[in-house]
Amino acid sequence: MQGRYFFPLSARFVDAVATVNDDHMDIATRDGTALASIAMKSVRISSRLGAIRRRLDFPDGSSFDTDDNDAVDMLLRRSGLLHRLEQSWRLVLVALVCVGVASGAFVLYGVPAVAGWLARHTPPSMTDYTGRQTLQAMDKIALKPSKLSADVQKHYRILFAAAAAAAPRGASGYRLLFRNAPLIGPNAFALPDGSVILTDQMIPLIKKDEEIEGVFAHEMSHVDRAHSLQRIYQASLVPAAIAFVTGDASQIGQLAAVLPGILLQSAYSREFEQQADDDAARQLRHMGKSPAPLADLLERLEKKLCGRKDGCGPNWLGSHPATADRAAWLRAH
Amino acid sequence: MDIMVDAAPQAPAVRHQMRFEGSGGEYFKIWIVNLALSIVTLGIFSAWAKVRSKRYFYGNTYIGEHNFDYHADPIRILIGRAIAFVALLSYSLASTFAPLLAALLAIGFFFAMPWLVNAALRFNARNSSYRNIRFNFVGAYGDAFRVYIGWAFLLGLTLFTTYPLAKRARIRFNIDNHRFGGQPFNVEITGRALYSIYAIGLVIFLGFVIGATVIAGALGTIAGASVGTAAKSTGMGAFSIWHILILVLFAFIPLVLVPFVGTKVFNLAASGTTLAERFHFESSLSPLYMTWLAFSNLLLMLVTLGLFYPWARVRTTRYTSSHFAVTGDADIGSFTSELVAAQGAIGEEVANFFDVDIGF
Repeated sequence: MQGRYFFPLSARFVDAVATVNDDHMDIATRDGTALASIAMKSVRISSRLGAIRRRLDFPDGSSFDTDDNDAVDMLLRRSGLLHRLEQSWRLVLVALVCVGVASGAFVLYGVPAVAGWLARHTPPSMTDYTGRQTLQAMDKIALKPSKLSADVQKHYRILFAAAAAAAPRGASGYRLLFRNAPLIGPNAFALPDGSVILTDQMIPLIKKDEEIEGVFAHEMSHVDRAHSLQRIYQASLVPAAIAFVTGDASQIGQLAAVLPGILLQSAYSREFEQQADDDAARQLRHMGKSPAPLADLLERLEKKLCGRKDGCGPNWLGSHPATADRAAWLRAH
Repeated sequence: MDIMVDAAPQAPAVRHQMRFEGSGGEYFKIWIVNLALSIVTLGIFSAWAKVRSKRYFYGNTYIGEHNFDYHADPIRILIGRAIAFVALLSYSLASTFAPLLAALLAIGFFFAMPWLVNAALRFNARNSSYRNIRFNFVGAYGDAFRVYIGWAFLLGLTLFTTYPLAKRARIRFNIDNHRFGGQPFNVEITGRALYSIYAIGLVIFLGFVIGATVIAGALGTIAGASVGTAAKSTGMGAFSIWHILILVLFAFIPLVLVPFVGTKVFNLAASGTTLAERFHFESSLSPLYMTWLAFSNLLLMLVTLGLFYPWARVRTTRYTSSHFAVTGDADIGSFTSELVAAQGAIGEEVANFFDVDIGF
């Protein structure tokens, strides 16, 4: 076969021809001057890959490269298995299906399962620490001390204690915090350590006590199921998986990870909200109450935030399921 | 070596254009098959996949009539990944059960970091070749420590105003410690030139922030008005607009600013680089076109659920290669054929146990 012979440990080369005679490879210039003769068993031949040149490395630091891939395969009496896999469109299709199924399974079952397992096995000291850190950060950025009167606070604390007594962790497992949050607006959220934060802006929206009991039950479910911890683990699992899939940590790979990561996070988050609504409805029924007032409050909240009844934006971007769906679901239970 | 360099014949300057001859379709088949095998083997095959991928890109990159080669043994990469995995696992276990041990491990990693950087650069360089001649990397631990840790501290102290100088230290460390057939690379790069690039980046960023804020403010007022008094009382109408603004800024930095500034810095560094004082490199990438490439690649990958990735890499490499050139006072052939003695027995050293590709 035709190619180039590079002299030992040198960039100097000549156009050459390689032939195999029994157990030796003989290299000669095109006009027949012998250059080298190497035992076949000490020749290292690179595997076939795309249309790139094959390299034959010899023990003395000389080498031979050639574009004649087929001739090298004939010499080896086989073509590389990997190359054959990479050539066949049918196998490429199989690989595509395999990757698709694996990615789908990873997204649907793998990430929630791993994040859930990690969240369940996170020691309480870590959970408390994370909760404290989050609260500190939020207090710095978006939260101010509550302006609610002591009487109003006491009223909600009594309702909270009643809901907590009926929740899995019991009365001592949760605590209620009041904060003024002009930037966030009417809202309630749970931290991993069992803290539930209620913003002052939420109070004017509440018409009946049953409504806020539903909110408390919903947030307590977030605490029990360690949803915020799971969210943290998901946030690191998804980009890691995409880096693995693209196979390099280059800029292209990193960029590709950002948006799918955000979309997946919102999808997982909607799943959590559904679970929390589910748990809240069950707990309310257990307390002998109806989930319908929670639905009323959700609708009022939505109207306040977006001016309409049917959501602020496209659902696939949202962290919560559509309010109309949630309200209908809660009323049906 | 000096005598040989001086004795070289004075030939007219020759410009060698780099080029990339791979194709997206061909690389797609290689990528998807190797990816499927990596998944089926629970990640073990990914070391082989990495080598095949690198070999494809090196093997299709030409200067003159010769291509580059990548020689790494996948087993070495697998060992490196296993070490990294064990280190990570023991750190996370320790941080759960023995915080003190975790702190010790963190300190250990802190001091190992410069060594790891050197090991990875050396592994890559020694396994790369052109025309039967290997590259090498000879960075010392102390220099890596100064560049990666010393400068990081200094950046904090100077509130990031010395970032261009830190960048220059990294570029110098990286390029000046690379060798080709024993001959040193050298980069000349002025702090002033780097400062002006980052100043342009800062101006673009501030301009974008001000422009986006004005637009968002205007939109916020409109939205607030249409929502009515209910929204005004809590400012929620404007809040959702600010929310979008933050997201847009979040996308602007990696999508526009990083490719734009990164390309200008790459051009500057590459064009200031020489090999053995006889070969000059030059990179003439268009920052705007590179930004367009990054943006369109991302868009096409989103639309195709990531399947466009192989084409994205190929078209980026084809463009960057076609704007990279080497100019020398002699043919590369006559120069590199002098590099016999300096080559040494580097191949044997590669088998050194610690020469593994650490990290993912």
